[in-house]
Amino acid sequence: MITQEQISLYIQNIPATPSVIRQTLDHVRNGDLIKAAKCAEEDPALKLYLRTLINRPIYGFRNEVSSLSQIFGILGTSSAQQILYNYLMSLLVPKEWGLFSLTHQAFFDLQASFSRKWEMILKHLNLLTHENESAITLLPASIIVCDALFGAHKKEVEQLRSVKALDYNTILQRLSGQSLFDLCSVIAEKWEMPSSIAHTVHAASGTDGNIGEEVKTLAKWMHLLLFYELSRSPFVEAGLNELIDFKIEFVQDIYESFTQVVGYDETNG
Amino acid sequence: MRPTVKGRIAIFQPQGFLDGNNAPSFLTVDDIRATEALNVDMLLVSLKKVIFFNKNGLDVFVRLLDNVRNKNHITVGLCDYDHAKFKTITAFYGGGLNFSLFRTEKIAELFAPTNKSDSKTVLIYNEDPSQRSAMAIELFDYGHNPIIAQTQKEFEEKKQNADLYYAIIEDSYLGLFGQKIATRVTGNAIIYTIANFLDAEVTNTFNIAYHMNSLNVGFRLFIFDAYKVVSMNVHALNFFTKLASSAAEYNATICFVGLTFEKTPESFKHDMEDVGILFFEQMEDILKNKKLLQDLGGSSSSSKQTRAITKALINELPNFIDATVSTISMMTNTTATKNSVNIQHLEVTMAQNKYASSIGFYGDVDGIIILIFPKKIAQKTCALLIGEETDDEEAILDSLAEFVNIIGGRAKALLAEKKQRVDITLPRTYGKVDSLMDMVQNKKGVQVNLDFEGSQFTFFLTR
Repeated sequence: MITQEQISLYIQNIPATPSVIRQTLDHVRNGDLIKAAKCAEEDPALKLYLRTLINRPIYGFRNEVSSLSQIFGILGTSSAQQILYNYLMSLLVPKEWGLFSLTHQAFFDLQASFSRKWEMILKHLNLLTHENESAITLLPASIIVCDALFGAHKKEVEQLRSVKALDYNTILQRLSGQSLFDLCSVIAEKWEMPSSIAHTVHAASGTDGNIGEEVKTLAKWMHLLLFYELSRSPFVEAGLNELIDFKIEFVQDIYESFTQVVGYDETNG
Repeated sequence: MRPTVKGRIAIFQPQGFLDGNNAPSFLTVDDIRATEALNVDMLLVSLKKVIFFNKNGLDVFVRLLDNVRNKNHITVGLCDYDHAKFKTITAFYGGGLNFSLFRTEKIAELFAPTNKSDSKTVLIYNEDPSQRSAMAIELFDYGHNPIIAQTQKEFEEKKQNADLYYAIIEDSYLGLFGQKIATRVTGNAIIYTIANFLDAEVTNTFNIAYHMNSLNVGFRLFIFDAYKVVSMNVHALNFFTKLASSAAEYNATICFVGLTFEKTPESFKHDMEDVGILFFEQMEDILKNKKLLQDLGGSSSSSKQTRAITKALINELPNFIDATVSTISMMTNTTATKNSVNIQHLEVTMAQNKYASSIGFYGDVDGIIILIFPKKIAQKTCALLIGEETDDEEAILDSLAEFVNIIGGRAKALLAEKKQRVDITLPRTYGKVDSLMDMVQNKKGVQVNLDFEGSQFTFFLTR
């Protein structure tokens, strides 16, 4: 169904980080937001992405914010880096989703929701750093990769799943020896993301042994956040609930704190 | 979300959080309709991967499951939970709990009406004595050996010897049960357990599709365990006489065991005898009498009746082969080449190194697909389902059953595209090809030999 050659071909076709984005990211990492804004001006698509994003209701601005230097100023270095990675991810989003019943809007909403809640979590854990904050941006790559690899095999997967409750990540791993999280790491490497981001996201699969305490903590919260989001109606209907295997035992001890941090109302519905 | 189906149990497996807002997305009306079409005996929702649920969420599921039970007379409920979840569910529903709860899938399988497994010894405990008895009666009817612990203390003591039991049933509950007539296979006889007062409802609770399929695949002895029947009316009588008439076409025998005529008119017995139904006082009178068993057709499931392969079936052959080849390719990531296609009796070389599996379909067209795998290919094919290549024969055969079920499902879908409606049978697997050869010894069919990475794989289509 999915061979190693197909995976290699897919990875080969992932575009490298555009030079404008790379330079903008460098300026952001150095804390020079003015230079970052100037650099971003050169990429009209990025400019439009940032303007659309900052003027969404979640940011609460009454008047339209259009200047990039203003936008970078509002975001600050941490959020700017995170949003640039989100933009990079948006370049990978397929024109048409093949496996999942997703729209672009729903995917971007998911990205935004991940980012917002992840920030709340990091603040709660007292682990808010640039890199930790950006780690969440890599997680949706698993969805994009999954859709790209399984999109042409939807029926076969349905038949397989009709006899065994296998998630896409497990199927991929058993077929090719590589998991969605391995492929996220490859993307992170290709985009020259800090290695800690790839480690955290990989550990969020809930299957990594031998990881440090901090990474383990982040991984648990990310794993539960993933399932919190993938349990929401639009994403269940999109078929995302079957993306990976939910490891309850991995996250059981943080459940109570998690629901408080994200403000989950247990009387829902 | 679509369920997974094993045997005749369909299970939905949601993951994450479950509340009133998202529950309708996990189980839609379309999902339920598609599941009803699968003709299952039991429909469950697994809570194994659910970290949180509230009553609003469960209520959505319970309403849908309730409708299914009322319409299809099947067992519905929840499974795969821990003690804390069991306590929460029972606290939510209290005395109004009318669906079933099975702590594990394995326990649920024991209560499935169409039971093909051997008799199992199981330990039961429930605080409620009526629940303990209800479970024991159901399990006994399905041919199992239930051991009831009368107290918590006795249960804890017996639990120490867990090896003695196939399963330990606790934190489980039988709600309104499916009311399907229990079915089990003993050797080559099929035993149906009937009870109470039999009336027109028997036509709904008897799985006629399963019965017809059993006739088609060669079963010739059907026994109604009627010890617990109090009486029957003329509608039930008509049903049984019709059943006997159709069985006669297959040279099959229908027997009743333990039926008394204290409250049933004696004339019914004569009517039933007239259509060839036999009466026995004890089950052992049949099952322990080898000569009688042979005479009645219960000593071998081989079909003496040979049914010619039809043109309609041959027309579908390329589709069935494609379905098989693409499924194996999907599961092994290898490609196959077709070596030969012949109409012949099944021929298998080096049978000792092979496993086999079969699945039947019946309806607008009928037939049996038989697949014979070299053990190496079987191991590889099942690795995707099991997670690793294994030498464990039971695990391989279990996965082969799932594999042939996929092919049966694909065959069904292909025929549906041509407006031909069929149902598929439960898959059968054979650790020894000889037992398969017994079943198909007189049958001609289409044999296709395929090559997968140098190993020969056989596809055989027959009726």
